[in-house]
Amino acid sequence: MNNFRDEYKKEMLILPIILIIIWYFICDYFQLIPVYMFPGPTDVATSFVKLIVSGKLFKDIFETIYKVLFGMLLASVVGITLGILLGWFNRLETLCKLIISILRPIPPIAWIPFSIIWFGIGVGPAVFIIFMGCVFPILLSTIDGVHRTDPVLIEAAESFGASNSQMLTEVIIPSSLPYIVSGLKIATGIALMCTISGEMIGSSSGIGYMILTSTNLFDTGSTVVGMLVIGVIGIIFDYIFTKIQERIFW
Amino acid sequence: MTFEIENVSKTFVSNDSDEEVLALKDINLTIETGKFISLVGPSGCGKTTLLRIIEGFVKPTEGTVKDDGEIVTGPSNQRGFIFQNYSLFPWLNVIDNVIFGLNIGGKPEKESKERAMKYLEDVGLKDFAERYPHELSGGMKQRVAIIRSLINDSKSLLMDETFSALDVQTKHKLQKQIHEICKEQNKTIIFVTHDIDEAVFLSDEIIVLSRRPGRIKKIFEIKLEHPRNRDSEEFKDLISEITQEIGELEDE
Ligand SMILES: Nc1ncnc2c1ncn2[C@@H]1O[C@H](COP(=O)(O)OP(=O)(O)OP(=O)(O)O)[C@@H](O)[C@H]1O
Ligand SMILES: [Mg+2]
Repeated sequence: MNNFRDEYKKEMLILPIILIIIWYFICDYFQLIPVYMFPGPTDVATSFVKLIVSGKLFKDIFETIYKVLFGMLLASVVGITLGILLGWFNRLETLCKLIISILRPIPPIAWIPFSIIWFGIGVGPAVFIIFMGCVFPILLSTIDGVHRTDPVLIEAAESFGASNSQMLTEVIIPSSLPYIVSGLKIATGIALMCTISGEMIGSSSGIGYMILTSTNLFDTGSTVVGMLVIGVIGIIFDYIFTKIQERIFW
Repeated sequence: MTFEIENVSKTFVSNDSDEEVLALKDINLTIETGKFISLVGPSGCGKTTLLRIIEGFVKPTEGTVKDDGEIVTGPSNQRGFIFQNYSLFPWLNVIDNVIFGLNIGGKPEKESKERAMKYLEDVGLKDFAERYPHELSGGMKQRVAIIRSLINDSKSLLMDETFSALDVQTKHKLQKQIHEICKEQNKTIIFVTHDIDEAVFLSDEIIVLSRRPGRIKKIFEIKLEHPRNRDSEEFKDLISEITQEIGELEDE
């Protein structure tokens, strides 16, 4: 099994390495594309080293992750709590259904103007946008999870004399957990997207800000570093959630 | 006297078509404490429905069910219910499943676990206490489900085709165990089954329901001594008599 995994991992690297070599030849060796249009791997590497040495990269990564986690935390608290309530009390769901249906399709970045008016510049607007982007997938998957609780398990708990609150904590919540976690996993992707967009407009820090400002200075190497960093953060989040999902196997 | 079922009828109305299904009609039945009662009858005659009404999962359209004189309005931990399909909590391991009811009732966990281990040992699952339901065979899951209900010391136990998915050996072993435990504790059992052999082996009374709408067609009292001998003439005669009774219903 381990062998299989190692081989699998090695195979995954083949295509990226080939692409980097081709990229190197096009941009660096033959210089077919000027740097201000797109950097070569050496430009990216140089920018990367510079950003690390100056400590700017870590600061920006920290800023971005901080906002992502903060926004996700707020969205989770609201989304999961509300999701369990709406999933359990049908009348409450009916009451809120239309509002959710109307708010949900609005792209989170459409909230940027208001987020700036309400929260100014800094962490506030980004967190707000992340919240708006993440709360709906978390809410809906939680509601879905509650609805999908096996009715037989609910009846079984009733026949053991479970009270309403015990039903919630001992049956409904554990049974919805896999759905909640997959909602959170989807939400992290959206949160990254929202953070970067938010940072490009209403912010003066973070990776989104770095990407945008470095292009203004024709430092396309830093732009690509920023983009790749987002990709790597995305992979890490995905990995963490996949590991969590393996542990909630039901 | 444990159960008094008085004039119970049940009509189901399906949501999408206005069609009505009369599942049970005028059921009158008294079940004495400590008796083992089997409900048999053709498929769809309302056995599960009757059992669910007695537990309180479903309300009858007409009539009432009384448990020790009190009208049943909803499920209670005084009436254990064992489902056909195990219904174990997949996120809990075996021992935590077994003590679920005790936990709900606020019993101290350590003592509950000690008791649970004894029960698990009785059914040969001591080594599986830490396993999760998805790691168990069907027979093992059903044993866990049975002791999860037994451990609560409810006055009665309602069982819906509890042994139907098991191989013959496991089935016979569990039949003996459930019979012994229930006679020891003077529990009232209502047992739904398609297996006439099983019904005759275990029951004090066998109630035959008619085809839909289910009515009580006939009640057989089984007076054979325990442990019952499957090879005896009386046992075989009873099986064929009851099978015939149900068979007639299915041909009608
Ligand atoms: N929730 C329900 N809604 C509508 N109709 C139902 C419902 N539950 C049962 N019925 C109908 O009531 C009748 C009796 O069903 P029930 O499940 O009690 O039969 P049963 O005797 O247990 O059958 P089987 O031996 O196949 O398990 C059937 O016609 C069934 O279609
Ligand atoms: Mg049935």
